[in-house]
Amino acid sequence: MLHSKQEGNSASTKIRAAVAAILAVGLLVSGTSMNAASAAAKPKQIRILYATAEANSAAVQAALPSFKTKTGVQLVMDTMPYGALQTKVFAEFAAKSSYYDVVIVDTPWSPALAQNLEPLSAYMTNASLNDLAPLNPADFIPKVFYDTAVYKVAKPSLHYPKPTAVVDPAAIKKAGFDVYGLPIQANALALAYRKDLFDDPAQKAAFKKQAGRSLTVPKTLDEFAEVAEFFTQPSKKLYGTTLMAGTGDWATDDFKTLLAAFGGDGYMVGNNQELNFNSAAGVKALTYYRDLIKSGFTPPGTTSASWDEVATMFNSGLTAMTMNYHDLKLDANVAGGVIGYAKVPAGNSEGPHFGTWMLSVNKYSKNKEWGYRAAQWLTSAAQSTAMLSKGIHPARNSVYAAAEKLPDANVAAYYKTLKQALAVGAGRPRLTNYGEVDAVIFTMVNNVATGKLEPKPALAAAAIEVTKLLESAGYKVPK
Amino acid sequence: MNNRVNELDVASATSSVKLARRQSEPAFPKKRKKRNGIYWLQMSPALILLLLMTIAPAIFLITKSLTNDSLLSSNSNFVGTQNYHAILTDSSLLHSARVTTIFVILVVLIEMMAGLFFAQFLHQKTKANSVAGALLIIPFAVAPAVSAMVFRELLNPNYGWINYFMGLLGLPDQIDWLGNSFTAWVALIGLDVWQWTPFVTLILIAGMSALPAEPLEAASVDGANAWQIFRHISFRLLAPFIGIALVLRTIQAFKTFDSFLILTGGGPGDSTSPINLEIYRVALQSFRVGFASAMAIILLVVISILTPLLLRILSRATQNENV
Amino acid sequence: MMPIVFMITTSLKDSDIARQMPPKWIFTPKFQNYMTVLVGGEGHSQGFDRLMLNSIIVTLSSTILCLLVAFPAALALSEATFRKREFLSSWILSTYMFPPIVAIIPIFIFAGKIQALDTYPVLAIPYAAFNLPIVIWILKSSIEQIPKEIEEAARVDGANGWHYVSKILLPLAVPALATGAILSSILSWNDFLFALALTRSVAKTAPVGIQEFTGMYGTDWGSLSAASVTIIAPVLIISIIVRKRIVSGLTFGAVK
Repeated sequence: MLHSKQEGNSASTKIRAAVAAILAVGLLVSGTSMNAASAAAKPKQIRILYATAEANSAAVQAALPSFKTKTGVQLVMDTMPYGALQTKVFAEFAAKSSYYDVVIVDTPWSPALAQNLEPLSAYMTNASLNDLAPLNPADFIPKVFYDTAVYKVAKPSLHYPKPTAVVDPAAIKKAGFDVYGLPIQANALALAYRKDLFDDPAQKAAFKKQAGRSLTVPKTLDEFAEVAEFFTQPSKKLYGTTLMAGTGDWATDDFKTLLAAFGGDGYMVGNNQELNFNSAAGVKALTYYRDLIKSGFTPPGTTSASWDEVATMFNSGLTAMTMNYHDLKLDANVAGGVIGYAKVPAGNSEGPHFGTWMLSVNKYSKNKEWGYRAAQWLTSAAQSTAMLSKGIHPARNSVYAAAEKLPDANVAAYYKTLKQALAVGAGRPRLTNYGEVDAVIFTMVNNVATGKLEPKPALAAAAIEVTKLLESAGYKVPK
Repeated sequence: MNNRVNELDVASATSSVKLARRQSEPAFPKKRKKRNGIYWLQMSPALILLLLMTIAPAIFLITKSLTNDSLLSSNSNFVGTQNYHAILTDSSLLHSARVTTIFVILVVLIEMMAGLFFAQFLHQKTKANSVAGALLIIPFAVAPAVSAMVFRELLNPNYGWINYFMGLLGLPDQIDWLGNSFTAWVALIGLDVWQWTPFVTLILIAGMSALPAEPLEAASVDGANAWQIFRHISFRLLAPFIGIALVLRTIQAFKTFDSFLILTGGGPGDSTSPINLEIYRVALQSFRVGFASAMAIILLVVISILTPLLLRILSRATQNENV
Repeated sequence: MMPIVFMITTSLKDSDIARQMPPKWIFTPKFQNYMTVLVGGEGHSQGFDRLMLNSIIVTLSSTILCLLVAFPAALALSEATFRKREFLSSWILSTYMFPPIVAIIPIFIFAGKIQALDTYPVLAIPYAAFNLPIVIWILKSSIEQIPKEIEEAARVDGANGWHYVSKILLPLAVPALATGAILSSILSWNDFLFALALTRSVAKTAPVGIQEFTGMYGTDWGSLSAASVTIIAPVLIISIIVRKRIVSGLTFGAVK
């Protein structure tokens, strides 16, 4: 932060002094009435900083007016897409700004931001703050909740030791951790496939001939490769599957999913910074990935594709299968297309990547209690269920139960699969400079995918780079 | 021969016009001091603005670069020159530096030539030129991020228009543009040229509009052809504008990163990863201010060495034929 | 020109047929995308009309400020009798080398402290400052090109300093002023990084808004291209108007 030495400009020093004086008086005045009045100090509005489509802002926006009707407090939401959002969120916290009361946080950012988020366990156990909707912490999917919202600020790299225990704020506090947000949108990697192609008698017969078994939705990685090969029919402008091998976070997520499927550590880096990705499973994962691409089972442009392009490829009918983080919709010109969903195929283990967005309360906000109320209400079972119609990805068990009863069979099927994926998913390692580590990994994945590097040396080189990065961020990497 | 005579005439005509205000002396030395004061006054708003926006942040940068601060935590550690050492010995960063330099050289060269070319045609006041001029500005007027996204779409091997049209023209049409380094570079350079040539052209047009007409007329009356006119007169008179365009474009090219981020993301691998992309990642994604500041300072130093070099080369080129 | 054609046609197409290969040239244009963009579709926080207005205000004010500050400075720098002018000119150019990315952080912190975030000046002033070197240099070079004879002729005619500047110098500098205005406007208009960091919702400008049409679920090309076309329109209009000034084709024969 700026030390006062640097502010040689006397004008700004005077301003600072003035502001400090005003603040001091203000604190005195408000301090006396703090305890009693805070519950009654109703702000006119609560400001929320939110993402756009990736966290389904449309769904949340639809819910905002009813909060005002219910409480008289207006929820004002600013939305921003991922890259810009990250810069914005970090900038606001870096300046300790009180502007936004509630801020959306994506899992990879949490370790770096944890000190700036208000710990919520006290709020969660305070009955008077949970009056708008039942909190029902046990309703949250444990794995999702712990991975997203539970941290130990003193050592943010630690994961909660009991990831399958029922969520209980008191128990979390007792274990030395705390809750730093409430999950609102849970994304996990799932397989989507062209049901119409899989059900097509002609395709079925051809597959039987080629592979000697019936055409089924692949459950194992071997089956997946086989089916991908079969559906690569260039004459029909069809390819087996998509893969997100472009240079971006998505490639890292593809890699860690496969890493887990081959029995490795889906988190890539351990709790004590062990570089678990550099392993036999890692080599297998990269080799499998590269071979799918090299054999031509993926469309051209795969090695520069992001989740954006991959969605387009599938939706335009270019591939028979895809793996993505949301449900898909085929373009109008894909005649007779029907989508089915399934879990990502497994190896001898599984751990599809998942990442969840949570609503956190800004530590510097002046309306923390109402901020909590807003976040709690938006993530409550009732609201989450209401948002299903706009396609939100819930983090509560009860909402999934409701989702599976939705009238649109396709959408209901997606939710069923999503829930299964969340139950077995693997999140990200908790590193304050995850973004940079991420960059090393996805560059490595891309280099292997294009054939520039071989898996084993690529992993070794990446391990060296990551070690350097972790050490420069203050971690100690075991040898 | 006629040519030789013409050149001499041209040169003398030029030098008489080029009575730069630089060489003039005021009549009364005392007045000079007074006038200087006024000049400083005239400069003051500009100076204040620039100082605020650059020196103050620069001081911040330099102090931060000696720490390993992160904006998100409140502890600050002084680490001396550790950051600089780390950067200068990091092979991937050095690779980025190479990448950036090659890019800058290529695009600036192409854009300067294209700019000169277009400016020649467009600086006369004709109706066709107004339309052409307006069209020319459009690429520059589109937000860089949007241009990059559009280019990316057009280059898509499956639905991109570029491959489609190449197919129509009988050229290979299955190129995965962003999938291999060479074509990715072509795409990046193409995007930059498409976007920034108008900038260069505009500056050169401004220069050409300021060209006094008599030496040009005198020279053509004397029988000099278009190339000679250009080379001996226009080029020299345009020199300051060429200089500005060159320097500004070079500096801007070093600062490019939007297009890289969106078009290739630094890929394939890290073959198209410029320095600024790295700075962006460290500064605005990890918010590791200390390290990012050190990177920025190094970049600044490099640019500030390059720029005077460029200017000196240019002035030498234009002074060569002084009679 | 292809990218432009792409943008315009895509903005008028329904999203379903936008992706067809070979591209559909004959289709019924739909203005749906423009409506969505201007009014503010769901999932976005501000309508584009508001963002455009903000962009216009910020760009105009920063350009005017820039020109006002640059002109006297350029005048001073072109006076041969000004000591230190070489040094100052080079120094000004060197400030342009400053990578804005890192300048943002200290400016953001300072602006936050004086409660200036999300206002028009917090954008207009840095924009003016960052474009200053370009404009000063263009003006300076233009002024230097004006032949001595004109100044001498003016003095002979009894014109004093101010008269000279306003009646003779200024008109001659119009092409340079116009060029500077256009360049500065476009650069301010398109800036993204500063607008992103320094504004929230009140002074948010168009480039930041456009970003909202991209994202993990696939780019909303219909809206994106409609928004892009909308953004370009004002710039085009201004440059067409100002273009005439740039190529005023002045001849110094007028002096004689």
